[in-house]
Order: sequence, then C-alpha cells, then structure tokens
Amino acid sequence: MPPEYRIKFLPIDRTYPAEKGDNLLETAMQAGVHINASCGGRGVCGKCRVRIAGGSVGSLPNPLLSGNDWAMGFRLACTSTITEDVVVEIPFESQVDRSILTRSAILSDLGSSAANEALAVRYGLDPLVARYYCELPKPDIDDNIPDAARCARALSAKADCGEPMFPLGVLRDLGMNIREADWNVTLDVAPDTCEITRVTAGNRQSAHYAVAVDIGTTTVSAELIDCRALSAGSMVLASSTDYNGQISYGEDVISRIMYCRKRRGLAKLHDIVVSTTRRLISDIVRDAKIDIKDITHIVIAGNTTMMHFFYGIDPKYIMLAPYIPAATAFSPSGPESLPLMPGLDARVYSIPGISSYVGGDIVSGVALSGMADRSGITLFMDIGTNGEIVLGNCEWLLCSSCSAGPAFEGGGITFGMLAAPGAIEKIHINPFTLEPMILTVGRARPLGICGSGLIDLVAELFMARVIDRNGKFSLEKQGPRLRRGENGMEYVLCFASETGIERDIVLNEIDLDNIMRTKAAVYAGCTVLLKSGGIEFTDLDSVIIAGGFGHSIDIEKAIIIGLLPQLPVENFRFMGNTSLGGARIAAVSREFYTKTADIARAMTNIELSGNTQFMNEFMAAMFLPHTDDRAFPEVIKMLGNR
Amino acid sequence: MAFEIPRVKYTGRIREVVIGSGPGAVKVGGADCYPFYRFEGEMPNPPRVAFEVWDSEPQEWQEWAIEPFRDVIGDPVMWAKKCIETYRAELIVLQLKSADPNGDNRPVEEVAEVVKKVSDAIQVPLLVWGTGSDDKDADLLRRIAELSEGKNIAVGPVSDKNYKQIGAMAIGYNQVVMASSPIDVNLAKQLNILLTNLGVNEDKILIDPTTGGLGYGLEYTYSVMERDRMAALTQEDAKLQFPIICNSAPEVWKTREARLTKDDDPRLGDEKKRSVLMEAVTAMTLLVAGADIVVMRHPDSVSLIKDMIGELCA
Repeated sequence: MPPEYRIKFLPIDRTYPAEKGDNLLETAMQAGVHINASCGGRGVCGKCRVRIAGGSVGSLPNPLLSGNDWAMGFRLACTSTITEDVVVEIPFESQVDRSILTRSAILSDLGSSAANEALAVRYGLDPLVARYYCELPKPDIDDNIPDAARCARALSAKADCGEPMFPLGVLRDLGMNIREADWNVTLDVAPDTCEITRVTAGNRQSAHYAVAVDIGTTTVSAELIDCRALSAGSMVLASSTDYNGQISYGEDVISRIMYCRKRRGLAKLHDIVVSTTRRLISDIVRDAKIDIKDITHIVIAGNTTMMHFFYGIDPKYIMLAPYIPAATAFSPSGPESLPLMPGLDARVYSIPGISSYVGGDIVSGVALSGMADRSGITLFMDIGTNGEIVLGNCEWLLCSSCSAGPAFEGGGITFGMLAAPGAIEKIHINPFTLEPMILTVGRARPLGICGSGLIDLVAELFMARVIDRNGKFSLEKQGPRLRRGENGMEYVLCFASETGIERDIVLNEIDLDNIMRTKAAVYAGCTVLLKSGGIEFTDLDSVIIAGGFGHSIDIEKAIIIGLLPQLPVENFRFMGNTSLGGARIAAVSREFYTKTADIARAMTNIELSGNTQFMNEFMAAMFLPHTDDRAFPEVIKMLGNR
Repeated sequence: MAFEIPRVKYTGRIREVVIGSGPGAVKVGGADCYPFYRFEGEMPNPPRVAFEVWDSEPQEWQEWAIEPFRDVIGDPVMWAKKCIETYRAELIVLQLKSADPNGDNRPVEEVAEVVKKVSDAIQVPLLVWGTGSDDKDADLLRRIAELSEGKNIAVGPVSDKNYKQIGAMAIGYNQVVMASSPIDVNLAKQLNILLTNLGVNEDKILIDPTTGGLGYGLEYTYSVMERDRMAALTQEDAKLQFPIICNSAPEVWKTREARLTKDDDPRLGDEKKRSVLMEAVTAMTLLVAGADIVVMRHPDSVSLIKDMIGELCA
C-alpha cells in the first residue's frame, strides 16, 4: 500500500485521505468539496485556484498564476499532485458556496484483472482453442503412418481430444508445413469439435492469444486476451472500442433491419460490422505488438440482431410480429465459412442468446455477474442502446428488453460521446452560481459528455432547481450559463475556449427529453419485470449495473434522476461492459463458455412490446425522480431541503 | 352466517374545493367512496352541472342548440344571466372561443374585458375555459386571474407547458386552477405535483382529465377517471385526490351524430332528441366515472342529468 496522506480542505474543514501522486482536484471531487473547474482538469481554465496553507503539493508554474500568486501559495488544483499531508484553502472565487456532496457513492467498474482471474480460476483455465507444441518423430519405413495421424498420435500423448481431425483447408498444406517446420510444430486444437485448426512451425506455446469482442448496436469493443497461465500478469493485453460503423444506417436495430430490405443491404451491413471488428483487432494486435497468427480464437458477444449481421444472416423476421430471429446460438466457425481478415485464421465462437431482443451480450453479462450461482435475488441491468434487464437467482431467471435508446452511450445527445479521453465523466454544479466542476476521462480537454457525466449533469441541474420535476428547464433560474439556443433552453457546461472542439458544450431540451425517455424506459422495464416475478425492489439482494456509461457511476445521482431504484448504495455493483467481460472469460475457460449456454436455456423472456403495463409504468417514470414519490422517499426529502 | 355484501376498503378522500365567493359559492369534492357509492361512504357535495356560455356568438351551432338562447346568444352577460335565471344554473363556464389563435384570435385585453363583465354580472361561480393554446392561455388566463381578484374563479386548461405562468397568478390572486392532462393517470398526477410544488394550494386544484364525447373516445376518459379515483380513494395517492371537471359539451355537440338532421339520415331519428340524449348519456357516464363538475349546453339534457343526480343522491 502506498502511504496515505491527509488532505485538509478549508474553510469547510474537511479532511480526506489521498495517496501519493493523486490529483488534488480529483481528491476534492471525491471528498465532496466543490472547486470550480470547467476545463476538465487540464490546467487551461484557471478556475480551480487553491492556496496551499500547509505542506506542499507537486505542481508546475502555470501562466494563469502570476509570480506573486505562486509565491503566496496559489496553485491550480487540477495540475497539482499529492506528495505529503497538505492543508488546502479554497478561496472564495473558486468555492463560492460550502457545498458538500452529500455522500460519496461512486462505484467504479469492477471489471478489474484481479476479478477476472478469480473467475477464470474458479471455472478453470482451459481455453476454447488449446495450443500444443509437438516434436513429431520423423517418419521412416517402419513408422509410416500418414502425416495427419502422426500429428494426432503426438497430440494424444498431451491432451485428451479424441481422434482429432483436420479441416480440409489445413490438411491441404499439412505435408509441406510440417516438413518445412522440420517436424517441430505447434498444433491448435479445438476440443469441442475435435479439430486441429492450425499447424504452425516451431514452438509457439508462449504466444497464445484470443480476442473477445462485444458487438453493440452503438459501439464495438475488442480485447486481446492472453490465454497462458494467469501468472503471466494481466489477462487483457490491449483493448479498443469504436462506434459501430453501421450507425450511419440507423441508430437502432429496427432501422438497420429496415436497411437490410434494400438491395445488397444485408451484405453491406455485414461488411461494415466485420470491418469495424477487423479494425479493432488490427488496433489491439498493433498495440500489443503480437503476431496475428498467434490468435487462436475469437469469442463474440452481441445482441441478436448484431449477431445476424455479423454472420450475414437475414434478420428481417426479428422486426415482424411475432419477432422471430433465425437463431440465437451459432456454431463455431473457421475462416473458411467466415473470413475475417488475412492472416487471421482463428475459430470464431459466440455466446448464445435468448430471444430477438435479449441476446448473447446479456447472457455473457449474467454469466460474468455470477447471479445465476447465488441464492439471493439479483437485478441485472445492461443499459446500452436497448435496456436489457435480468432478474433472478440460481433457480430462476427472467429477462426483458426495453427500447431505452442510446442516450447513455452518447447517442441522440448533442454533445454525447463514449467514455473516451475528453469525455466529461463527473460533474458537480454549484447550486447558487451554477458554475460547474468537471472531470474528463484522461483529464483531456473536454470533447463531450459520456453516460456517467449525463447522469451527474441531470441530477445536479435538478437539485439546483434548473430542471423541474417534469424534466424541463425551469424558467426561474437565470445565469450566464443558461440561455436560449437553437433547441430551446440550454445549460452551458463548457464554453468553447475551454473545450477541445471550439464549440460550447451544452445540454439542451431535446437532450433532456432523450435522457428522460431512456431512464424512464429502463426503470419501467425493471418495474414490470419485478412485478412479473412478484418481487419488490426491497427484496433484491443486489443490483448490478452494466453498460457503457463511463468508468464509474455515481449511484446516488442515478437514484436522484430515477434511473435506479432507491436502495442502499451498498446493494449496487457497477460492472461496466459485462458483455465483453463474459466473452473474455469464455475465451480462456471452456466451462464458463458452457455455463453461458446453460444460462441461455434457463432464462424466461418477458415481452414488453405491446405490454400496456409497461406503457403505464413508462409514463409514471417520465418524471424526476418518478411520479410515485413513495418509491423515492429519500430523494423527495432531499428536494424538500434543497 | 348471514351474507355480507363485500365492501371496498377506502383509505383516501377527495379534497373539497370551493369555487366562487359569497352566498353563491359552490363546494365540490369531499367524497370518501366511489361515485354514488353512498352505501359505502359519504358524498357530502353532490356533483354539479356547469352551463356553458361562449364569449362571442357561436357561428356553427345547430339550430336546436341555439334555440333556448336565441335572444341572448350574442351577449355573454345576458346569456349567463339567462342560464342562471331561467335554467337555474349553479355554475357558469365561460368558453373563450374568440381568443383562439387559430380562429378570431381576439387580443387578451378585449377578451379579459368580456370575462370581467360576466363575472361582475353574476352571483354564481365562474369557470373560465381558455383556448387550449398553451401560449395564448398563459397570457390570457394570467390576465383574467388578475382582473378577477376576490372572485375565486376557476381558470383552465392549465397544462404542463404553461402551469408556471398561470399557476403563479392563480396563487397571487387566489383563484382555482383546472389542471389539464391528455387522458393519462400519470400525466394528471405529474401536473398536480408540479402545481403543488409551485405553491398552488391543494384546495385550489381541479383535474381536467380531457374528455371525449360519446362514440368519440368517451371510454378512454372513463377508464382513466376510474383509475384516477381508484388511486385517490384506495391507494392513498394524495396527488390525485382532487375533484374532476369534464368540459364535455363542446365534445358532444361537435360530433357528426349531433349535427345530422333527420332529413340527412332518417334512420337517426329526431335531431334534437338525439343530441340531447347524446349529451345526457355522455354526462351521465362521466359522473358515474367520478366527475364532480360536468359542463353542459342544452337545458333539456341538463334537466335529465339533474334528475339523475337528484335520484342517486336522494
């Protein structure tokens, strides 16, 4: 453990622990101390001036601080790091009020490598495609069995994989390959089909990789996984995320399926999603500096429609009542049926799904969450373009999908973006001056707002009475940051000069409407699913939140806006992209992959489209925090006190 | 064991709202049971009928609708007086049709002057019904609330778009607001929360659930009102415990079936009898669903409804 220091903030007299190298502005945010900051922590706006009244911090002179200021101990909090115990005085202009965040309830993504390894160990490390090095005895007149049988014989000494066969594509060059390798070869074996999928010269056992891919409607993410022993360090060697290139053909699955009806539409959408995947794989291969030939397999998790596109299957019946997909499980395939990219002849596996609107991405997340192993009841929410919700325990599982919209992934929001560098991920707003305190991912110049930032922003504006309970801008509050724009009223979070996009970053009425609809759909979906199971929110042991919000989520603020039910903070867990996480574990653990199929079989789908109860709950949830005050007593109490 | 009639378990009560001032003031609401379920609870204030009066001479009324008011129809003050003196109206709803921005679009001051004249001339409570245009009503009803200080009139429809402007003036001049939402329980409740958060007193709110005429969506209104009342009386939903007003007359009288004459289609029978019955059946249905005030046009249908209320409350 690095030594812990005590940071004392004046004049509110609050002490908070920090570690060496921690950023002072972040520490203040965690401690719930408001310091104005609008450049995202880059040392550009100069608003986060603080005076070091005791001790010292690591800080570089900044043109925004005069020599005199510097001598008096003024520093910019965002560019200061903790080196020892320190007393920080926040001057009036940076503080303005003594606002304190009520309580810190920020949960970070639990997809850490330690958790991964623990899970992989529990299920047993046994990659879907195994790699064996074999020194084949050279054939002679007495030992004259065929090349293929020779490989199989050598393999049987090392692993139990029955009578392995070669796909034709591998067999055609086998003779030449093993002789060129001088009979020392690495064999990639897929035990599920008992196939030798590749023969490589020399010993390649030390380089054995897999790729996990999450294909979302809005974003696609890929990770390079090290399949070797866990002691090798981090399981994830590189990762990359990008918008799904299909976005230009419609933001939601329905408009994409519509596009498929055009001539060559399906081929086009297939090509696009494959090329997005290809680009991500190229990125991670380059970042990790590995040979693409050492990737033995790929595990894909995606929603049902995306899987149809990925495999080039016509999804048109998904959108026609009664909404039937061609398949929700897909057999493993090799490059001969699914050529992804040159040099990559990995086997492609996918996590099975349940229905048209609850796909393998959810099964993957549920498996990762471990909820199907526990007796306590868990509510699992994946908030992506669709909000998928799973309720249950080790005995039963109910699932449902509500069309939430991509707001929390940055879609349909004027300045929305993914949680990439430059995305505003944490926001606090002074309720009197309406001056914001923001932090960006990577502390880069602000480019936009990601999901966690949007949750913070709406909650803060609501608590500051800038937004009414019906999610509309109140006309009472005035200030330089509130103005009438092209799309009605808007709040200016960052002025152009502080951003990396040379435009003011704002939240307008249309954005607010979209966020309201998304949060209402998710909450209404949860309510209906719980009622279907005869369960109250208070019966829940835990609530797991997954999705591409950002790297963390402030549970309390998500409750304030009514996205999450009002339950004790300790009941919530935030797991980030669980679809990708499940694919990651499946890549290295056959048993986990089998588990996903068990989970898919165990889930009962509750259809929400055309469900009148859902529409009623949706209207009730289109309010802050909710039309039913009794569901959010603490928030209502806070509203009374504000 | 003797048979016992099962009883609904009520936990709430509708708030009482007073409209008007002086001896003519009318109190509505106060029930702690479903409409006319007087064997299960109390209905201290019987439902009321409000006669409608237009702020300018109607151009498209049926001959048989004009007939009872022919002598006064061009003068809102005389018209209101006739409703009270001849037809014993207990409440008057003044429909501000001429202010409609999609119609004559008469300016705020002119229309407000008409309202003032009517309110000064009558002793019974006045309810003022705007145009349904959020922006126009915001200006118009604010001005009317101000000009009618001390009269405790009701102004509406107040929507989630203009509740702040109208609500603030209603608080300032102590008037009643009619909170209007489009046939949805949650939206009705949300608007009531917004109004009370704004500071509107809880005994100054009437719910307008939006009314459809017979054959034109009445069943939707009915279901929503039924659910409003279930939430208010059996689920302790305090934000729905307000009396309900249904502005039904214009909805009934504009329908095709209320316009066709016997000559147009002999199968439909006598036009006057038919329209009167349509209006009465609409009002009766709304009352059974939970309306505390129904807005009506024809004295004959009013008389039928008053008989019905009288019998059910006897």
